[in-house]
Amino acid sequence: MHKNDMILIVIILIIALIIFIVPKINSNQGNKIANVYYENKLIKTIDLSSNLKQEYNIKGYNGNIVIETKDNMIRVKTENSPLHLCSKQGWVENSHEVIVCLPNRIIIKIEDNEEMYDAVVR
Amino acid sequence: MKQIKTLFLLILLIILVGCSNKVTTYNNNYFYMDTYINVKIYSNNKNLVIKAFKEINNIYQEYHQLSDRYQSYDNLINLYYINHNLDINKEIIINEKLYDMIKYSIDFYHKSNGLLNIALGNVIDVWKQYREEGIGIPTEKELMESGSIDIDNIILSDKAIMKKNNIKIDLGAIAKGYATEKVGQYLESIGLNQYIINAGGNVKVGSHYQDDNYTIGVEDPNDTTEIYQVIKGNNMVVVTSGGYERFYEYKGQKYHHIIDPNTLFPPQYMQAVTVICDNSAYGDALSTILFLMPIETGINYINNLDNVEAVWYGLDNQIYYSEGFDKYA
Repeated sequence: MHKNDMILIVIILIIALIIFIVPKINSNQGNKIANVYYENKLIKTIDLSSNLKQEYNIKGYNGNIVIETKDNMIRVKTENSPLHLCSKQGWVENSHEVIVCLPNRIIIKIEDNEEMYDAVVR
Repeated sequence: MKQIKTLFLLILLIILVGCSNKVTTYNNNYFYMDTYINVKIYSNNKNLVIKAFKEINNIYQEYHQLSDRYQSYDNLINLYYINHNLDINKEIIINEKLYDMIKYSIDFYHKSNGLLNIALGNVIDVWKQYREEGIGIPTEKELMESGSIDIDNIILSDKAIMKKNNIKIDLGAIAKGYATEKVGQYLESIGLNQYIINAGGNVKVGSHYQDDNYTIGVEDPNDTTEIYQVIKGNNMVVVTSGGYERFYEYKGQKYHHIIDPNTLFPPQYMQAVTVICDNSAYGDALSTILFLMPIETGINYINNLDNVEAVWYGLDNQIYYSEGFDKYA
């Protein structure tokens, strides 16, 4: 084998490796986070990697909503709606459990690095 | 020189292969029919997707308003109008989409021996009142006297509808699936074949963006943090009836929002049932009638249909499958 051939193979391998690895470095760094949407607008991203109890205030269609986090989980603590379905849902920790507050048009989704399901029926 | 040429060709090849996989995921949320609806489209044509998201909103909004029986809209003849404002024995021309949806439901009524009955509105209203006020359960007498539930009192002819008495139409068992089917058909008609529509208990997927299968999780009705069944496939519809949503408890008994037209009470045959087929409206109707029959009867029913499978979550916490379910597992 030619010496130049060897160099060529090494260069191609390095390029291939770079192309393969670079996108992973960018996308794979995230810890567990929860995204809060008002209709289609991302209004808050909450880090769930901390074990500390923390509270966040956001605005829903019917007014203020208090979101609470602890131990990598998230819940809606208080909100203004007729049936209080989303605060009754309680703590959520898996990416397939979406918190939806229809009257407030708020959606809280946990985004994992690896989503196991494309969709969940309930 | 020759090596440098080869090198360039190879680099070009690598870049091209990298690019061809570059399909972007687009996401949009909708709130219609008391449901959070999420639509994901995989495409490299951003402008087309933006246009599609707008049109999807129009489709869901239109079916939402047409099937809304609690609210009227300006210049629109919808279910509210037919149920409350239309005089008895008076014929009126209605929107073709609403007409087709009612026609589809009545045809299914006859195919299902009357199990899917869109004329149950009067009875559903009584249950709704008890559920919302949390005041126990209605008596059989109260339900019987709430008004007609005879579907033959709805007369359809040539784009017009007529009521023969105070019947109330409720399309809750069909409208969401029907609209979702229309959205899927629209996406395919403009060449966006790779999509997931998730309307709560109603999922429709197109072809996969990587020649793979979509993975749909079915939530455990006893523990909503768990998935009890995984369904894999393409170009299919997965619909659940039951589950934990929309029921209330009274004296330890769960009362679901689906009403049996024969007893006027919610059935107690299973915790949930999930249907796999190729049409969202059909899946919606099928999952409703399966919820209204004993599991054994339902298994026989599904085994006699082509291209339909189902999985049941029994009251005994056992899982039951139709004959050909394996091909999705």
